[in-house]
Amino acid sequence: MLWCGSPEHALHRRTFLQGTLAGLTAALRLGGVGLSAGEPAAKELRQAGKRVLFLWLAGGSSQFETWDPKPGRDTGGPFRAIQTTIPGYHVCELMPRLAGLMKHIAVIRSLNTVVSEHEQAADLVSTGRPKEAALEYPEIGVVLSKELAVRDSTLPDYVSFFTTSEGRRRPRVGFLGAQHSPLLLEKSARPEHVELPTGMSEARHQKREQLRAALSDSFSQGRAGAELVRGQNSAFQKVRGLMRSDHLFDLEREPRAVRERYGPTPFGEQALLARRLLEAGVPVVKVARGFWDSHHDNFESHRELVPDFDHVLSVLIGDLKDRGLLDSTLVLVLSEFGRTPVINKDVGRDHYAAAWSVALAGGGVRGGTVYGQTDADGKTVKQGEANASDLAATVYAAVGIDPLKEYQVGLRPVPVAREQSRVIEEVLQ
Amino acid sequence: MKPFDPKAVKLLSACDAPGILYTTCLDEPARTLYGAGTDGAVHAVDLSASKPAAVKRWAIHDNYVSAIVLGPSGLISAGYDRRLVWTDREGKRIRAVEAHDGWVRRLLPTPDGKRLVTAGDDMLVKVWDADGKPLASLAGHAKRTPEGYLSALYALAVSPDGNQAASGDRAGFIRVWDLATGKTTAEFRSTELYTFDPVKRLRAIGGVRGLCFSADGTGLAVSGIGPVTNVDGFVGPCRMEWWDWKAGKRLAVGQDKHQAILNQVTVAPDGWLIAAGGGDGGGALAFWNPGQPAGPAVSKPKGHLQAFVLDRAATRLHAVSHGGFQVWQIREA
Repeated sequence: MLWCGSPEHALHRRTFLQGTLAGLTAALRLGGVGLSAGEPAAKELRQAGKRVLFLWLAGGSSQFETWDPKPGRDTGGPFRAIQTTIPGYHVCELMPRLAGLMKHIAVIRSLNTVVSEHEQAADLVSTGRPKEAALEYPEIGVVLSKELAVRDSTLPDYVSFFTTSEGRRRPRVGFLGAQHSPLLLEKSARPEHVELPTGMSEARHQKREQLRAALSDSFSQGRAGAELVRGQNSAFQKVRGLMRSDHLFDLEREPRAVRERYGPTPFGEQALLARRLLEAGVPVVKVARGFWDSHHDNFESHRELVPDFDHVLSVLIGDLKDRGLLDSTLVLVLSEFGRTPVINKDVGRDHYAAAWSVALAGGGVRGGTVYGQTDADGKTVKQGEANASDLAATVYAAVGIDPLKEYQVGLRPVPVAREQSRVIEEVLQ
Repeated sequence: MKPFDPKAVKLLSACDAPGILYTTCLDEPARTLYGAGTDGAVHAVDLSASKPAAVKRWAIHDNYVSAIVLGPSGLISAGYDRRLVWTDREGKRIRAVEAHDGWVRRLLPTPDGKRLVTAGDDMLVKVWDADGKPLASLAGHAKRTPEGYLSALYALAVSPDGNQAASGDRAGFIRVWDLATGKTTAEFRSTELYTFDPVKRLRAIGGVRGLCFSADGTGLAVSGIGPVTNVDGFVGPCRMEWWDWKAGKRLAVGQDKHQAILNQVTVAPDGWLIAAGGGDGGGALAFWNPGQPAGPAVSKPKGHLQAFVLDRAATRLHAVSHGGFQVWQIREA
């Protein structure tokens, strides 16, 4: 028997899988819904090496203190607006670096996503769909990780950093199943327990994996639940790939000058890790930065958070460009919603989904575009109203995925984006 | 003077004003209370009226007004437009000075009225003559918090003899300056007034929000919020501290479970500390005698109080908040 039975090894592997297979239970909860073999992603698309980076500002960043300032209005708050490189378009003064990089960025400032409760809104924006009792939809990032996956890659298809606790959510695999679960990094920005057990050689470890896979395959033949076994096999392969790719999570391997450029904050460090992963071929990465939920002291909190965001995103865009990755990497800045025009009694802003902004940069995006408009006080969308489904369809289109491409879920064909959605062509190349 | 009794504190009157008022000052002979804040204008209340009401008088800044004080010719104000502005009693602008490279957070006159001291988000304390001529620029507060984020200079105090100023920042650092030499005479940190969760939240909240010297100049009152459990809000105990600033030694802590940040603190003539603020627990008006073992007594005013001023007899407290003015009796005349 090749398995040594080492409890240490068993523990490490199990612990790791608890993280990587976090979406498994979600998939099992589907009950009678089965997934037919999904259409293979277009070969050309995979070869194009498209990548997507989500920057998720958990809690809800304020559009007034970022992309849609209203200086001089009662709703505007105290920050000034500064001119960007797009004539006539201003951003909050807390973003001077991004103001100079607008040729790479498109802003949609006319989102009306209606829902203003954290969890429901995060679901809506992350999937691009309202919830349905009968079917659990995968999040956009999960769909992208399936579609943009590099064939035979041993790297994860989706890595999600969510080390801050606010709004922490595990990307939902929905009907796509457990094999599309992302690698979740919640306790630290480096995977735990991926080192070989003491005394075990790489060759022996590989043999053990071969035996495990053979037993699993044999077990699954002709049995219901083969999908689950396939998911497990896939996860084990990814584990092995990850063990060989641990260096990607080691920032010490970056030149000091690069590390310093990204800065000392965890958001900066995780953005640099994201760039390393994208460069190595991980198609989808998410970096979440929590605690934008500024019900109190909105201006003090945004004064802390936005300059860090401005610094990190501008360095990231420059770095991706310098490495020739920007044209193939879609960078998305999202939140679950924006914040209220009304400034509350604690000098805070509350949740607001009726008129808010997101930003896109890089691959597939027509930089230098500002889409949509809100009224003078930022209370309503005045022009170009878009919803969460439109945003999802636009994201898919940006990386070359037909939003109407269908998955067959049981007897039901399900398009990747909602049927009623509209691609916001104005922000795409 | 009767001994202070926190239980006898009561609201006498309140009147509405638009937006959030950040600052107030009292022209006692004229029985006029001024307030200013988010709309950049001065609002005035005639305290002699049978039913006091706030009247918008004139615009003074292009942004939020953070401080107003009475000057010999009218009002002197500071704002987030980075300026100091002098206006006469009819609202005519006398002069304006670009004061700081960043929001001006605080403005105080020295007791003799000959100098002004300001604190701004360029992390400088500046000294001016009464006409706005710069006299000194005092550097020492770090521009960034220890975790690398922008800091802010929230609090300022001038000693009763006019020889010292104290300033406090977002990360809890306090410096005391000799106004004659411009040198730092003391520096220390009030660690508990600054919450930064390096693991789960990566966010800061709190800081030194209020400072006031004791009447003899040896003690320094400090206010803010104690350890915060949820940085989305002021979810932490309201807190005052009493320091021997020369020794850099904290002598006493007055903390109450009422969840609020105390934006301003003052030392009353009888040695009681009075502080005001607000947070998740609602508004807060806190009274604490650092020489006694009891913690602060906290009244709960309507709304989050941003600032207040006492009358000369220290019998009435005039506060401003979101939406207006409040007049409190804190002891019988």
